[in-house]
Amino acid sequence: MKNQKRKVGKKVSENGTIEISFAGRGGQTAVTASKLLAQFVYEKGFRDAIAIPIIGAERRGAPISAFTKISKTQQIKTYDSVVNPDYMVVFDISLLQIPKFKNVIKPKTTLLVNSDKALDRDKLPQIEKIYIIDATGICIEHKFMLSSGPILNIPMLSAFGKITGFYDLNTMEKVIKEEFGDKKADLNIEVARAAFNSVKEG
Amino acid sequence: MTEAEQRDFIQKKESKILKGNIAAAYAAKSARVQVISAYPITPQTTVVEKLSEFVDGGLMPGTQYIKVESEHSVMASIVGASIAGTRTFTATSGQGLFYMNEMIHWAAGARLPIVTTLASRGPAPPWNIWADYFDVINARDTGWMSAFCSTHQEIYDEILMSYKVTENPDVMLPKFVAYGGFVLSHTSKPVMIEEQDLVDKFLPPLPDEEGWEHIFIDPERPMMHGNLIMPSGFYMEFRMKIHDAMVRAKEKIKKVAEEFERMFGRSYGNGLVQEYKLDGADVGIVIYGDLALQMEQAVDELRDEGYKVGMLKLRYFRPFPEEDIRKAAKKVKVLGVVDRATAFGSPTGGPVSSEVKSTLHNSGIETKVLPMISGLGGREVTLEQQKDQLKILVKMNETGELPDDLLYGTLWHGKLEVE
Repeated sequence: MKNQKRKVGKKVSENGTIEISFAGRGGQTAVTASKLLAQFVYEKGFRDAIAIPIIGAERRGAPISAFTKISKTQQIKTYDSVVNPDYMVVFDISLLQIPKFKNVIKPKTTLLVNSDKALDRDKLPQIEKIYIIDATGICIEHKFMLSSGPILNIPMLSAFGKITGFYDLNTMEKVIKEEFGDKKADLNIEVARAAFNSVKEG
Repeated sequence: MTEAEQRDFIQKKESKILKGNIAAAYAAKSARVQVISAYPITPQTTVVEKLSEFVDGGLMPGTQYIKVESEHSVMASIVGASIAGTRTFTATSGQGLFYMNEMIHWAAGARLPIVTTLASRGPAPPWNIWADYFDVINARDTGWMSAFCSTHQEIYDEILMSYKVTENPDVMLPKFVAYGGFVLSHTSKPVMIEEQDLVDKFLPPLPDEEGWEHIFIDPERPMMHGNLIMPSGFYMEFRMKIHDAMVRAKEKIKKVAEEFERMFGRSYGNGLVQEYKLDGADVGIVIYGDLALQMEQAVDELRDEGYKVGMLKLRYFRPFPEEDIRKAAKKVKVLGVVDRATAFGSPTGGPVSSEVKSTLHNSGIETKVLPMISGLGGREVTLEQQKDQLKILVKMNETGELPDDLLYGTLWHGKLEVE
């Protein structure tokens, strides 16, 4: 048996929906990132947003997918997964070797990768824009860790906000305070600021 | 700003991005439920987890939260709490609902206004925890009402509307509010949580307030309940009354949806169904649950391409809106019915297509019906697949012929390709 064929139709983003795909490993907080992103843009005034985690039998370290669809102007009516992402946020560089992630990267996909050095473009599909952010390094430096490892979602989303302009640090601060309480907010925001200022083209 | 824009603006200001399960928990809180009984089961678990946080955090003063050892005990304790005169709530999924089954029948037979949400999942084996409405469909003949939700907001809204329907003295039947596991329970979208004052005004009074019209046991007024009834007794007549109450509930459901729209500004069609672009359509599709929202997008895109397609979203399975089905069928030449559930051995496709076919039988309506089964056990149903489903109906209308690969008259859409 092979997987069902998946036709890729007209891009939904032509209707004003922006689609983001997250690639992470179990424990790297990518699923939470997909929801936080929806919260950030919604707070910033987007009309609609949906976070879609793909839930299976995840283990620490296993590859996982999550998606967020956002729109400034219209209601989002689809629940299906993103196969043609406008942005792909990669929490773990090794995932770029795995076909299920590599194959969804399209020429116009903007890639944001957790990496401390520039990527080898020869090993990647032809794309225009790649950004890198050393999210792991920032988390270690700020002791922003869980038992499973660095809490990558905050620095990754902060870098995403910087490169897209969809939201800023103030929006992040407001949502983080509501979501996690004032006490935990300070370190989150410190980490967010560090990432906001250090994301670069790669 | 126009009135609609103003409403949009307020709606947006007050909305939070919530998972479907959390929206369900907020609805129980807004409805001021007094007894919650809980046993965890995926994908429902975060509903009762969130409620335990609310109760523990003092956000639901006076609410009793009971932890029990099984789903059977969940419903047994809810039956006890309800007949003692309290507003009750619980949530379950798939196997949990099957394990509850004996008490499900009791709740309906005792005419208790219980509301239970289902994060619906496929039945085992093989084990499955993803969207499939077989669990709620399996409770078809228990005497419970059942409604499907297709959006996160609808989960919250439908639970509020449910108490107003179940607690109506002419209805007095329990109700399931079902939504797809993971596809709705674990995805997040903006949900408006209404002001408590408004919700209080909308809902009937609580059992310990004046105006509660349901019966309850009370040591001051002893009564017998649920005792043995001989074949010559009123057993048969009680059953008839349940059937009668179920059918007549349709009018109450419509009225409640109207009142809901007036108070909160959100419309759910006539309460039983929502038509979408059926006027002027050649072919239509009947669909329910999560698949219905995405089908709207499929209809929009095919309409843009010039296809005359429309859909009918089914909100209720019990009571069954036969009048609305006939009305919709009259508007089109071909009607597809998409079930995300099975009815093994049925001569008329899935559970809902069987109802649609029997509703149209002998009605003089010549519309052709194509039963379709799609998305079982959480199998992803893409927008492109839903457009394909509509195109199959368009082709059927053009050629007058049924599609080739039917299994005993039913199209199983989105199968894996076996080599």
